[in-house]
Amino acid sequence: MAEPIVELRNITKRFPGIVANDNVTLDIKKGEIFALLGENGAGKSTLMSILFGMYEPDEGQIFVRGKEVHLTSSKDAAALNIGMVHQHFKLVSNYTITENIVLGDEPLKRFGPFSWVDLKGASEKIRALSLEYGLEVNPNDKIQDLQVSTQQRVEILKMLYRDAEILIFDEPTSVLTPQEIEYLLDIMEELRRGGKTIILITHKLEEIKRVADRCGILLRGKLVGIYDVATTTTQRMANLMVGKEVDFSVDKPDHEFGEVVLDVSNVTVYNDLKVKVVDDVSLEVRKGEILAIAGVSGNGQVDIADAIAGLQNISEGSITLNGEEISNLSIKERIAKGISYIPEDRQKEGLVMDLNLRDNLAIKTFDREPFSKKGVLQPNAFEDQAVDLIDRYDIRSGQGSQTITRSMSGGNQQKAIIAREVELDSDLLIFVQPTRGLDVGAIANIHQQILDQRALGKAILLVSLELDEVMALADTISVVFRGQILKTDDARNLSKEEVGQYMMGVTK
Amino acid sequence: MKKVSNRVKSSLSGLLVPFISIVLTLIVASIIVLLLGKNPIEVFLGFLRGSGMALKPRYGGGQGMLTDFFSYLSILTPMIFASLGVMLGMRAGLFNIGVAGQMLLPGFLASVIVGYSDLPSYLAWPLIIIIGLVVGGALGALIGFFKHRFNIHEVVTSIMLNYIISYITGFFINTYFADTVTRNSRPVKEASRLLIAGQTGGGIRFDFPVGLIVALIAVFLMRFLLERMTVGFRINAVGLNKYCARYAGINVGGNVVLAMAMSGTLAGLAGVTYYLGFANNMVPKVLVSLGYDSIAVAVLGNVAPVGCLFASILVTIFQKGSIYMSSNVGVPQDIASVITGILLMFSASGQYIEETLQRLGRASRSKRGSKTDPDQAKA
Amino acid sequence: MNIDKIMTDGLAFALPLFIMAIGGIYSERSGVTMLSIEGFQGFGAFVGAITVVILRTAMGASPDWLIYIATLAAVLGGMLLALLNALMVIKLKSKMTIAGVVINILAVALTSFLSSVITGAVTGQATTKIQLSVAPRYTIPGLSKIPVIGGLFQNIYPFAFIIIVVAALAWYVLYKTRYGLRLRAGGDNPHSLDAAGVDVNKLRFSAVVLAGGFAGLGGMAFTYTVANFSPASYVGYGYLSIAALIFGNWNISTTFWTSMFFGFSRSFSDQLVNELGLSSNYSDLFSVMPYVLTLIVLIFFSKHNRPPRALGEHFDKGKR
Repeated sequence: MAEPIVELRNITKRFPGIVANDNVTLDIKKGEIFALLGENGAGKSTLMSILFGMYEPDEGQIFVRGKEVHLTSSKDAAALNIGMVHQHFKLVSNYTITENIVLGDEPLKRFGPFSWVDLKGASEKIRALSLEYGLEVNPNDKIQDLQVSTQQRVEILKMLYRDAEILIFDEPTSVLTPQEIEYLLDIMEELRRGGKTIILITHKLEEIKRVADRCGILLRGKLVGIYDVATTTTQRMANLMVGKEVDFSVDKPDHEFGEVVLDVSNVTVYNDLKVKVVDDVSLEVRKGEILAIAGVSGNGQVDIADAIAGLQNISEGSITLNGEEISNLSIKERIAKGISYIPEDRQKEGLVMDLNLRDNLAIKTFDREPFSKKGVLQPNAFEDQAVDLIDRYDIRSGQGSQTITRSMSGGNQQKAIIAREVELDSDLLIFVQPTRGLDVGAIANIHQQILDQRALGKAILLVSLELDEVMALADTISVVFRGQILKTDDARNLSKEEVGQYMMGVTK
Repeated sequence: MKKVSNRVKSSLSGLLVPFISIVLTLIVASIIVLLLGKNPIEVFLGFLRGSGMALKPRYGGGQGMLTDFFSYLSILTPMIFASLGVMLGMRAGLFNIGVAGQMLLPGFLASVIVGYSDLPSYLAWPLIIIIGLVVGGALGALIGFFKHRFNIHEVVTSIMLNYIISYITGFFINTYFADTVTRNSRPVKEASRLLIAGQTGGGIRFDFPVGLIVALIAVFLMRFLLERMTVGFRINAVGLNKYCARYAGINVGGNVVLAMAMSGTLAGLAGVTYYLGFANNMVPKVLVSLGYDSIAVAVLGNVAPVGCLFASILVTIFQKGSIYMSSNVGVPQDIASVITGILLMFSASGQYIEETLQRLGRASRSKRGSKTDPDQAKA
Repeated sequence: MNIDKIMTDGLAFALPLFIMAIGGIYSERSGVTMLSIEGFQGFGAFVGAITVVILRTAMGASPDWLIYIATLAAVLGGMLLALLNALMVIKLKSKMTIAGVVINILAVALTSFLSSVITGAVTGQATTKIQLSVAPRYTIPGLSKIPVIGGLFQNIYPFAFIIIVVAALAWYVLYKTRYGLRLRAGGDNPHSLDAAGVDVNKLRFSAVVLAGGFAGLGGMAFTYTVANFSPASYVGYGYLSIAALIFGNWNISTTFWTSMFFGFSRSFSDQLVNELGLSSNYSDLFSVMPYVLTLIVLIFFSKHNRPPRALGEHFDKGKR
């Protein structure tokens, strides 16, 4: 392989309170796929954001093609032919693919003093590019009508349109199905053949094994080392990533399930835009059972959970809890009947970020005794509960019960939500993406919480985009595709690949 | 121990930002006055004198500092109500920009129904207060309902209602209730004015504003409601994060309507105490600027009940004292509104001031790092 | 009923409203909530009017072309106040709605304060009411004879031509040029702009300042229809223009029609009062019409409204 195209020397980046990158030195060779591995919060994204000009390092130097560079904005990076596909796509939803791709680098046509954006010419160029790399898109489609995987293709085309030579992918597979992941990895290999250099940020070892040439491992901001992928085992990489021996398996004893707690039958849901998002869905969860809904993001799984919790109205079908129809009850009444809900977006829905921990822990119970009497709040009851839960659920916060939840870490925010919901002692617990964005330690803790509730005989509905999580926890798996349940079966009868097939809408 | 010190710190910084806003405003105001070739001290003293907080060089017969001070209190009263109304809306995440209209309609109806009648004070006063509560509350509820049911932003509805109210009351005043000389509405009868008139203290006459007592009660009622009651807990939750509030089983729409109705109720009380307490007539088609100034007051008061009280006390000095100051120092009266505007500008930038303070604080302290979340830093 | 008069007056009202609404569209499509059109309009008109007073006094004459100088001054005046608004919203991170109210309060306060100070200094007589000359009006031969819509081409203010040209340019810039493409992205997903290397805050800054310019133009046009300026000229047209743009779904061509709707409903109600032979008091009652109509219209249409997705959010690089 050729000489290094990017060299990072002694990069240090501090944020208030933490060192995100601590004296990191690495080099990336032209034409390789270089993987950057590490847990959430290990500093991978920060390091690459520095290379992409979004942050400036506090110390250290960056060399691109042998020359030292100072990047102050993504524009500088683009000028050096560096492109990045962010974890959260940066797309304008009401623009076409072409408009999105040209944004910031628009080709102009002129007539006298007037100039306008040449969208027609750009569309042609994009069509040609998409054919060249096998990234099929229709340049005139609007982003809001596209699937996630297509949106990602748009992000890749955006880089290629700008003649990027060094392509950074930030956790590109977290939103894709196994089949889509395969497709993406194929594209990466195609790009490598085309002479591009690729940096892949990920925490998924199989992907690294599959495509990467070399792999740099970050742990708490420090570079552990750079390894040749072909000669390093995944177990070794995993150990290096978390800094200690890890055990991925969970202890899930077999047991008999009790009677049906949740019975969803023939439910159809339309969203605010009158689009059918849940289509004739039926499922049953029994006591002591974990039913996992697997599916690609945006296929209606969250809408099913919302409909059960009462956050969305159903237009057809019925939902019963312990044999009692609940589909006409208010959210509040459903909570009282015994539904706990750990929502997908903990910061937007799960917590009031500007209230303190104490109030957040009581946000579903503040108007019951002992938290209030005759409409007057009882601060002592709030405090007692908070102290108790902080202790029992190991919620870490700077100022105890008075901590404003915004200042807490994601893992501890999630612990607080789980503490609150488990304490409701509901018969049904709904977990939507309970471990999203958390590090390995927090994930293990939450998985154990879920299994503990199972052991207590609770009915558990788990919605997860992480197939590994589904496979590890579920007793029963339902696969959702475009609002429909395509397959429901005992988890032991399904392989990961089969589930992936159904997630793509393939029925046998 | 740690908890206590943190509380003290946060309440201190809560005071620091408004204080800095006030100081900056006074500096800018002084510069304007200096540019006009006048003495800022004289101007500020003029404001205080006009508000009965400093002695004027001379007084008319039977008048004194107390007269001015109580007159100041009678305009302070509606300001307290109005700012509480804005404050309560903001707590629920609503921007009640229509306080002026929600003052005018109850004021108009109270004047027409009670003010021009021969009812004695003990009947008139409660009736007036009730009209203020009910009419203001109904207007607020209507705005809340439009937001909840039709998804129309409260700012748009409030403003449309402001104009509708001002034109319609203007029409009725011009057509039926106009004073032939002033072309304003006829003054209300003495008995229905919310004042205990003709009190004397040390030989000096003054009128005691009845509404002030209600206003002070309202301040502490609001404080209790927002900090210690389930209603307040719901309103705060809805205002801070309506998605989470809904998820937690709180009826967001109902609380929006409720908060807006309460906001309107307070505005209604501001209206009756203004039109039947301070002024005793109405200028057709004019919405009082107090309705808008109260927004500045609520923001300056840190969107908290007691804060509103203190901010009202301050801002009213400029409003009330401006006439005296203008005629004695010769700076146009409108400088009071300019000062209020500048004050509002600085207090609206409170977040920036706070961030700047924190930056300065961090720079001065060593980098003894507090715990911050790596997840957030990563973003 | 005098159809010609309805047409002429309706257009004279609708066009300034339209150009002000375009200002709002620029600001809101870039992501900045705009409540201060009212303030820009009034302050711009004040700067225009005071410029006339100063020039008139200096020259001792009042030539016709002063009207164009006044217009230019009004545009600059609107932009000046908008600059302050942009500063508050973008640099000082004030809440956008509150900043809007601040600007409106400041505009009223500053115009009354400054007009008494400046007229006092220039003419020796401090007043808050500034008398302007009557604007010339034009009738297009031929077209003005068309039945029903002929009134659209009679007694047109020179502003009508200016506004039409400026509005067409504004449309072209917003929908066809590089700047417009970026501006509209700012209100939907500013992070996409940032990733593309565009300075979001600079872009929004420029959009707000432009909004001030458009509003200043509209303000001067309104002022010349009554031939004088006073702080009482703040009569809610700025807010009405915001209603027009919401009703028009943040889209220039739709907003053109909603502005026309407001304009003609107003001139129609004025004519109705005339026609019914009611006293002038009743015109107040009928003045309510545009506001009531706005509410009614919004009841039916606000459900279908799609405000820019990132409207009202401060852009912060760090946040996602």
